[in-house]
Amino acid sequence: MKFPGPLTIRVTCALKLTGRMMVSRIFPLLLGILVNTTILRGQQLVDATAADKQTLQLLLQRIDQLEARVKQLEAAKQAAPVSLPSAPAQTSAPPASEAELQADNAVPERMDSSKTLLRMRGFGDITLHGDSQRHDTTAFSLGQLNLFITSDISEKFKFLSEIVFEGGPDNIFGETRGENNAFGVDVERMVLQYSHSDYFRLAVGRYHTAIGYYNTAYHHSTWFQTTTGRPFLFQFEDRGGILPVHTVGASASGLIPSGHLGLHYVAEVGNGRASRSPITDEPVQNVVDDQNHKAFNLALFARPDAVRGLQVGFSAYRDLLAPANLPRIGESIFAAHAVLVRSKFEWLNEVLVVRHAPSGTPRVFNTPGFYTQVSKQFGSYRPYFRYQYVNAPSTEPIFPDVGLRQGPSFGLRYDASETVAVKLQYDYTALRGQPAVNALALQVGFTF
Amino acid sequence: MRRRAGLQFILASAVFSIAALCFGSAPNSSSLPKPQIASEQNLAVVVNLSNPVQNLSMPELRRIFLGERSHWPNGRRITLVMMETGQPERDVVLRDICQMNETDFNNHFLHGVFTGEVFVSPKTLATPVGVRKFVFNVPGAIGYLRVSDLDSTVKALRIDERGPEDKGYRLHVPPRSSK
Repeated sequence: MKFPGPLTIRVTCALKLTGRMMVSRIFPLLLGILVNTTILRGQQLVDATAADKQTLQLLLQRIDQLEARVKQLEAAKQAAPVSLPSAPAQTSAPPASEAELQADNAVPERMDSSKTLLRMRGFGDITLHGDSQRHDTTAFSLGQLNLFITSDISEKFKFLSEIVFEGGPDNIFGETRGENNAFGVDVERMVLQYSHSDYFRLAVGRYHTAIGYYNTAYHHSTWFQTTTGRPFLFQFEDRGGILPVHTVGASASGLIPSGHLGLHYVAEVGNGRASRSPITDEPVQNVVDDQNHKAFNLALFARPDAVRGLQVGFSAYRDLLAPANLPRIGESIFAAHAVLVRSKFEWLNEVLVVRHAPSGTPRVFNTPGFYTQVSKQFGSYRPYFRYQYVNAPSTEPIFPDVGLRQGPSFGLRYDASETVAVKLQYDYTALRGQPAVNALALQVGFTF
Repeated sequence: MRRRAGLQFILASAVFSIAALCFGSAPNSSSLPKPQIASEQNLAVVVNLSNPVQNLSMPELRRIFLGERSHWPNGRRITLVMMETGQPERDVVLRDICQMNETDFNNHFLHGVFTGEVFVSPKTLATPVGVRKFVFNVPGAIGYLRVSDLDSTVKALRIDERGPEDKGYRLHVPPRSSK
């Protein structure tokens, strides 16, 4: 056994001293360095993770973009004829900038032959109606079944049509044709619209003439209307109406730069209403015009920003009628309107005059008319009131059956759901030389 | 005499009440000062990066969101993107921009399409990511996103000269429910 000598003891002491120093001074220093290094490492890791996440997000976005692009190209490849060679310019194109990439990614509106472009909505109504007129009976009546079809053909073109199935005989200026309970089909609207800008739109086909307000605001759907039916002034041609409600032709419309005034114009040219005998022929000249002269209509209206829902305007319509056994008759229709339509309140006011001037005679036949309609919504209920008036001379050459008609209507509309409305309406109509008519109607109108 | 005066008073009151009901418009929700909750975010109106428009006034924005304007100044057709019914972002747009409730908004577009005045109905998308992607891809698109959902793929418009980060910006959306 060997014992340590003095040198060994000194060294051992030195080592012991060093060990104490390490414990008391160096170890905390080393520990501090280690901890700091770990923290720094941790910070670097956090930064790296955030950067990775960002990169990942960007990569995911890029993948989404590329997937969309691949789908687009696949669709284009399927749509394109097989024989067409691929464009070499595309394959050899240099790397695109961000803006170019974005333009590439823009979804072009093109026809996809694998799916229909049609959108369809239906409207209908059923009415229980009775009145005090002699020979009239109380009856349930199927109203118009309207298939409203639209299609976005392209960015600038749109198609719109209303195909209406309706029962009962036609009534054209008091003359009836057709069977009482048979149904017929009418293409009430068929329009191809071109929208160049907010300032110019062009529509061709069969549309509602922009006379006054009601005719273009409400078409063949009672569900949209507050009341059970249209005012007599705007009744359809085949339901005894006096106006050329429909026109086959072309219509330009758009905004007029006018700031907060919100001026709009509508300019129309079309076939006008049929005027030759027999009068019970289709009143809308869908295919053939009975003369070369065309009907013109110009409407201007304002929707000022200051009063939300207000629309004020006027229109002027001009046509030349050629009834059999009569001289040609110049027809002018001047209409003016002021309406305030909000979601809970509406107030419609329209006045117009139909002026018939047979050529070769100084005589002019003026038929003035107006209506006012007011309604206010209370929850699901909307009580309404309408007063209407039309006064045609008894010798009026085009519509001798109309005469004087005036009277109030009261009603209540109840919105049973967002798409079903039930209306109860009472009408009192005073007639010239005939007893007044009292009528009551209960109607359910709906959209589907 | 007293009875007649009473009747006249009742009649006058009735007429006044009806007139007030009919013509007195409901207080405009957008005009009322709304205290902004601390956790509320601003709602940005976003367009495609290629759209040259930088700023819109509130009436212009309203016309666009109601389909009364169909084209941008550069000729591109406006494609309106709405989020699904019930989303807080959509509710803010209906309340503060369109000033309508859900039913009135739907009826407005249904009627507009029916008359032909509204050229295209709004596209409805379910998620902010969907809105962002759609607006990124369609040059004429306009939609809306929370500021926290914004990124560099879309452009946030200034409304009445105020950006979504500016003080006094008018569109605020409540926080998302933490489900």
